[in-house]
Order: sequence, then C-alpha cells, then structure tokens
Amino acid sequence: MKKKLIILRFFSCLFLAASLALVASCNDDEGGKKDSFDRTRMLQHYADALILPAYNDLYSNINALHEAATAFDATPNAQTLQNLQQAWETAYTTWQYANAYNFGPAGEAGLQKGLIEEIATFPASESKIENAIASGTYNFRDFNRDARGFLAVEYLIFDPENNPEKILTDLQSTARREYLLALIENMQSRVADVLENWNDEYKTEFIRNDGTDAGSSTAQLYNEFVRSYESIKNYKLGLPLGLRPGQAAPEPTKVEAYYSGKTVKMFKTHFQAIEDIWYGRAKDGADGIGFREYLEAVEGGPELIVATENQLKAVHEALDAVPELPFSDLLQTHAAALDNLHTELQKHTRFFKSDMSSLLGISITYSSGDGD
Amino acid sequence: MATSRMRLNDIHTSLVRPVSIAPLVTFRVIFGVIMTFATIRFVALGWIEDHYTDPIFHFTYYGFSWVKPLPVFWMYVVHVIMGLAALGVMLGLYYRLSAVLLFLTFTYTELIDLTYYLNHYYFVSIACALLILLPANRWFSLDVRRKPEIAATTVPAWTVFTLKLQVAIVYTYAGLAKINHDWLFEALPLKIWMPANDKLPIIGWFLALPVMPYIFSWLGMLYDCTIVYWLSYSKTRPWAYASVVFFHSVTGLMFQIGVFPLVMMGCALIFFPAAWHKRLIDRVRIFLHRMFPALQERTQVVPQTASLSFPGPLKLLLALHFTFQILFPWRYLLYPGNLFWTEEGYRFSWRVMLMEKAGTATFYVKDSATNREGIVVNSEFLNAHQEKQMAMQPDMILQFAHFLKSWYAERGVQDPQVRAEVYVTLNARPSRLLIDPNINLASVEDGWKPKDWIIRYDE
Repeated sequence: MKKKLIILRFFSCLFLAASLALVASCNDDEGGKKDSFDRTRMLQHYADALILPAYNDLYSNINALHEAATAFDATPNAQTLQNLQQAWETAYTTWQYANAYNFGPAGEAGLQKGLIEEIATFPASESKIENAIASGTYNFRDFNRDARGFLAVEYLIFDPENNPEKILTDLQSTARREYLLALIENMQSRVADVLENWNDEYKTEFIRNDGTDAGSSTAQLYNEFVRSYESIKNYKLGLPLGLRPGQAAPEPTKVEAYYSGKTVKMFKTHFQAIEDIWYGRAKDGADGIGFREYLEAVEGGPELIVATENQLKAVHEALDAVPELPFSDLLQTHAAALDNLHTELQKHTRFFKSDMSSLLGISITYSSGDGD
Repeated sequence: MATSRMRLNDIHTSLVRPVSIAPLVTFRVIFGVIMTFATIRFVALGWIEDHYTDPIFHFTYYGFSWVKPLPVFWMYVVHVIMGLAALGVMLGLYYRLSAVLLFLTFTYTELIDLTYYLNHYYFVSIACALLILLPANRWFSLDVRRKPEIAATTVPAWTVFTLKLQVAIVYTYAGLAKINHDWLFEALPLKIWMPANDKLPIIGWFLALPVMPYIFSWLGMLYDCTIVYWLSYSKTRPWAYASVVFFHSVTGLMFQIGVFPLVMMGCALIFFPAAWHKRLIDRVRIFLHRMFPALQERTQVVPQTASLSFPGPLKLLLALHFTFQILFPWRYLLYPGNLFWTEEGYRFSWRVMLMEKAGTATFYVKDSATNREGIVVNSEFLNAHQEKQMAMQPDMILQFAHFLKSWYAERGVQDPQVRAEVYVTLNARPSRLLIDPNINLASVEDGWKPKDWIIRYDE
C-alpha cells in the first residue's frame, strides 16, 4: 500500500513539474528574445556565407598569383613584376578573411601546424630563405615556417626601398625564381587540400557538431576567432610598436608585410574580417546569423552587444586615424595614433574574450571542470 | 560531569559496536575501479604533458610552492604507481601500502598546479587518506587469500560511519552553498549553462526549456541538502538512489566533469544497508568463481571479528579531520565582500558548479630604470586552462605577477613593477575591474589576510 502511495506521489510530482515546464515555455512572450537560438543554423551560415567563400577566394587568388609568377618567370620585366606584386597583394588581402579558421581541415595535424602558421608566418627569415635558395634543398614540411608562405614570397618580390631594379636583378637568378614558384605551389596545394576537405565532408561534420563542448564547432570557431583577434593586437601591432616587456624601442621590421609596406592595409582588412565574423556578415555585407545574434538570445547578451558595439566604434575611429603608409614612416608621423589603436584594441579584448565565452557557455579547454 | 561521561561512553560504545564489513568492501572495490579507470583516462588523454610538463609556469597552493613536477618520464612512473595502487586497493592486495601510495601519488599530482583544483580531486585525496585507516581489505580481497588469518566479517562501526560522515559533509555543504540569491532566484548560472546544452540527444530540448534552470536550481539545492537523509531510510532509498543516478548522469552529460559523476554514484552506495552490500559481494564472488574456477578458495576461510577497538590516536586524528571539514568551509565569513567575487575562502569548501565566472587579465611590466611599460602576452607563459583560471582568481593573478617579475628581471628589465588590469564577468553581468589596476603586484605578498587590493563587488 505504502509503496504504491510513494510511487503515486513521485509520478504526480513529475507530472506537475512537466506541466509547469510546458506552461512556462508556452507563456514566454515577454522573454521573446529568449527564443531558443539555433546554433545549427548559425554554423550553416558561417560555413556557407563566410568560411567557404573565404577559402574559395583565397584559392582562386593564389592560382592567379601562380599565373602571375609563371608569366614573370617566362619574361621577367618591370611590367610582369608589377603584375606579380599586384597578384600577391590581392591574394594576401584575401587571406585576411581566412585568417581565423584554423581548425578542422586547416587545423593542426601531426607535425603540420595550422594553415596560418604554414602559409602566413611573419616576420620572414631572410637568412633561412637565402640559405634554402643557395642550397637548393627545401621540402616545406620542416620547422622553417618563416621561410615559406605569403611573407617569404613577399620578401622575394618586394623591396622595402621600392626599387624594382634591385628585385629584377636579384630575380635574374633561376634558383631564386624556382624557389618563388615552389613557394606559391606549396601554398596552392595546402589551400586546395583545405578547400577540398571543407567541400567534401567537413562542412557536414562542422554543421552537425553543434554543441558547446570543447570540441564543438562553435567552440573551435570561437577560440580561433579570439586567437585571430588577439594576434592583431599582440603581434601585428604590439610587437613592432615595441610594447612588449623588455623591448626598448619599436621594431618596425618585425611587422607583417614589411617588404611591400602594406602592413596597415593588411591589419585593417584583418580587423574587418574579425568584425564580420562577430556579426555573421558576408564579405559583400549581407548580414546573417552570427555570434551577435547568438548573444541576443542569452542571459546578459543584449548588454554585452551594446558594450561591444560601442567599443567597435572606438576601434574604428582609431583605425581611421592611421593612414595606409609603411609602418616605419607611421612611427615617425603617427606614433600616437598607433599607440591609441593598440589601446582601443586592448580595451576591446574582454568583450570578445572572457565576456563572450562566459555568456555563451562555451568551453575553451578539454580539461574537466568542477562537477556536481 | 558524570552524565556527560556516560554520554561519551555511549558514543564510544556505539562507535565500536560490531557491524558488517560489507559496505567497506564495496566502497574499496568501487573506489579502486574508478581510480584505476581515472588514472588510465588521464594518461591516455595526454594530460600528463598538458597539465604538468608542458607549461613553463605552475600556480601553487598556498604553503605548497615546494611541490614541483618531475621530468616527464618520472611523471609517467608516478602515474603507473598510482594506477597499480588503485588496482591494489580494488583487489585488496597489499592493501595498506596500496592505499598509502594512492594517497601520496594522487595528492602529489594534484598539488603541482592550482589551476586544476577540483573539489572532487580534493574528495579523492581525502577518501584515499581515510581508506588507509580503514580495514577494508579483511574480506573479499587477495590479502585474505594470502593471509587467511586476517579475514573478518565484522568491523567496529566507526569505520563505516567515517565514510558516511565524509560523503554526508560533501553533499550537505554543496547544498548549503547553493542557498544564495543568484542560484535560487535568478537561476544563475544554470540559466547560462542549460541552454548551451540544447543539442544533447534526447534530453537536450527538455533542458533548454526556459523554466528548467529554475527547476534544476531548486531541485539541485534540495537534492544536495537532503539526499543523505533520503538515502539513509529504507523506504526512500530506492527513489533517492534513482535520483542520484539521474542527477549525476544529467550533469555528467551537460558539463565536462570527467569521472566525477561515477565517483559520487559509487560513494552514495555507502548508505545502503549491510545486507545489500553482502548480497552484492556474494553475487560478484559467485560470478568470479564461475568465470575463473582457479579463484575458488582452496581452504575454508574462517572469518574473525576484527578487533572492536577505536584506538585513541586514531580517534584524535579523525576528530581533528572532521572538525576541520566542518569548520574550514565557513572561513569565508571572516573575509569582507562577496565570496564569489573575491574567492577568499572559496576552495576546499565543496562549492561545486556554483557560478559562471570569467576574466581577461592584462599584465603590464614596467622597467623602473627607464619607466618604459610593456604589455605581457599571457599565452606565451600559460596554457588556455591556466590563463582562464588565473584571470578571475586574485591569488593566482598575484602568483603570475610574481613570476613575471622574476622572468623579466632575469631578462634585463630593471626592478620590474607589475600591474594588472583584470576585467571579470560574474554570472552574465557586465564585466568590471577585479583588482586595483595601479597597484604594483610585484611588491604584494599573498597570505591569509584579506586582500585589500581587490575592488569590492558591492562598491
């Protein structure tokens, strides 16, 4: 008898709790913003509107770079060099839009590091590149990541003094031109692999893996997004500005795109790409479901969106105050503007980093947390 | 005087009264199994390198900064010993030695880096220490096979009571900690964590219902506060244990909490009656004999009654331990300000999954000679887990500042001054400064005293 009573009580309570839940969930008009957010659709949007277009663009622009390099190799002259330089600038600008997706097919695998380390390490090592050319032995699989990729190509085809004669003279060496072509072919094959992988199966996996645990697509995308953002502040600006402890002065040669002098254009594009990711905005400006929309749906999110957008505005103002000149020139003329830009980026960090991961409940590591 | 002495005598009598050894044996075996599994899991996940040997800096426990990691080979040796010791505990083979080794190796590895502090690791260390003192190997063990004369079916009651009391403290304190405004009335942090789990198979949609964080907060609090009571009575026990399994399974699915749910599901069995444990052991024994006929006893084991004593030193030791267990979690009352914000007196108090907190910490190192100030890139020194934990806990921020001071002093920065700008978000509220961003942390020492450089939450 008593046993039956207890069972009855238990199920009544369960039933009541369930109905309460049902009523509450139907009755949630005032909390309309709390409509459950669909991460699957967000991932779908990121894959279709941002990530795949970024890799497609990158791939076709690296192919164009290869064509330009082949044309230059056939007839090295001022015009083909200029075309080659232009193709490099276009391709490297496109790279900034793919900068933040170093996971999945573009992530680390065995001895291979993420795509960003393999094709966009800076500053390039002049001595390693010269050694490779002199010895004629290079495999592009070793640890000399500062002797390959975009910035190694840049070193070969640009001159910081902007003297085309000097470049043309240097590139009379067949070994040098062979290295140049080999560098570009290596990038071609790496990007082709990533793109193919995304097209084949990874896209499905990316969209299906829609949790928030450490290995989930949202967590991977988020972590790389933050890492990419921080690299602008720490390495693209902080390092050449000499803002790291122990640096006695700015080091303008330790800058991204030193030889072409396109540093500012590159980090501005990079920041644009980062901002696009936060908004879920395609390159053509079409806004879709991104982190911003995700934040709208969570506790404390609307406040964070306001804070983030205010600071984004401040960052944009700081960016606008920096003209697209070579970094060493800017240090003479716009040092305060550069420092201010770094400060505004620094202020922005917490909105992308801890505030956002905390509100979205994204795990940033695999290790066990405290349990109940 | 006379009556109080009588009462003490009564307590003593009830603590040395003979009870079945079976609950101790189940606890020993299950704990050994889980610890063996947990050790293998830890090694297989590559966490020896990730946690102990890859980082160039380790956060230490106050008073234990002398505990250092060994070279990677020796860390593996430590874990092999730990795994074998866990097996030894499970099988009851060289039991006391195994329990001592398990306690020492496990506690050593936990003390290496404060980053990985978990309440359940603390619990495991305590459980290992208690097992050293308990005669859990005197039945259904390989020690009995080696030395049949130690076999015993009854033990003094204090042995089982010790384990029950420890588990009861864990649950009850975890429950008391949940009695706070955010947990009960804002359903925070569950309101953050539960919708993040809406894609879990089968139960995901259910967890994402807007009312669920409230239901889980209240049920969770009531569950932790009262589960020991429900587990102690035969009428409520089956339902209570079903809820133990349910709660720990759901939290296990929702959060990255490793083997913790298994540990608690195993430990809660200590509240089952001796007869249940005996039946379980008998069944396992029959099963083992059927599977491995060689295991059948060659000679009849004549069980003894273990000496029904409670030696004075042991009594004192356990009294001290439980006094500490009961009082230490309340030390936070001696500190000013919001406990969740300052975390002064937060650890070692069974506060589990209580808050969602995260921070971004920017460290500035200034050369006293040139007055040039540089900005530190934390990830050059810390792994992601270390940085995350450090960026919201004042004592860790201080340790890292001291590390930066000596690191940069060695690299030519004159008398480095270190300050930190730390923005922390607590339970989804807008982030704000945790500590005074202008104070030179390099000249601040850690201690028990309240840290006056923490900016109070209520200010």
